[in-house]
Amino acid sequence: MEERSASGEKRSDRELVAEILSKDRKATAEFVTRYADHVYAYVRRRLIPRADLVEDLVQEVFLAAWESLDKFRGDSSLRNWLLGIARHKVEDHYRKRLRELQLAEEEEGTESEPVSAHDLEEALAERQTGELTREVLSILPETYSVVLLWRYWENRSLRDIAVQTGRTEKSIERLLARARQQFKKRWYEQRSSKRS
Amino acid sequence: MNNDLQSEADDRLFELLAREAAEAAPEKAPSRLKARLYTALIQKQQESGRLRTLTETRNCGHGLCIFEDLWERVTKAQAAQSFNCCSVCHARVLAEHLESPPIYWGHCPYVAFAKK
Repeated sequence: MEERSASGEKRSDRELVAEILSKDRKATAEFVTRYADHVYAYVRRRLIPRADLVEDLVQEVFLAAWESLDKFRGDSSLRNWLLGIARHKVEDHYRKRLRELQLAEEEEGTESEPVSAHDLEEALAERQTGELTREVLSILPETYSVVLLWRYWENRSLRDIAVQTGRTEKSIERLLARARQQFKKRWYEQRSSKRS
Repeated sequence: MNNDLQSEADDRLFELLAREAAEAAPEKAPSRLKARLYTALIQKQQESGRLRTLTETRNCGHGLCIFEDLWERVTKAQAAQSFNCCSVCHARVLAEHLESPPIYWGHCPYVAFAKK
């Protein structure tokens, strides 16, 4: 549904926000229609192992947006503003999960055998990574998938992650190294099973 | 390869992987979810006072659904005009639970969510 303003033009972000703030139900519906797909796709990709939480988190994003919509100044697009809120919510989730999940593996000190990255590089060159990436992230232990998503999908530094989880940078670095190893191992296994 | 170099190479590889995954075709939100988001937002708006009246909504260029249109014609008081007709409409219930709800009339947000 792409409603038009009284003048027949597509509503700008600012006009839409003004109408939502005046509690116009149709403008609110347009807000959902315009942006739910963007927010959903963003959250879905970053909560890969926890698909069960995606819808609740998307709802949290929209309700938080309503709470602070009066602060929207139009400096960025409404879509980017919403994705900023989504990013905060996703990072809250990562932070909670990494704090909750005891990093038992870390204490064990068992290093797995190094796995070659060759198979992964080959797939990247062929641009065939999307589906398999999601599959592998969904079968990794959650600690590993969360730290990989946080570091590479959200582009956060080791220091940021360490500060936010109350751990040392070194321990996050070790966790990340193990996560990458496990990812490559499972990638290789999944790809081999698909080929055979 | 020493550990630092290995780590840097891995970083580059995973950065590429993340970028590649981000470029994949986006998934659309289920229409059930959109319906629930809309319902939740309207409820939240009502917690801090009345919704905009149906007449004001129409005057801003929005279409009203058949029930809202009827309601607007038969009510005069502002409080009644701000009533959320969707709260008692079967379309909302169907849309919150079915991906392709059997509702077909115009200007119903729940129909629009399903169309997308």
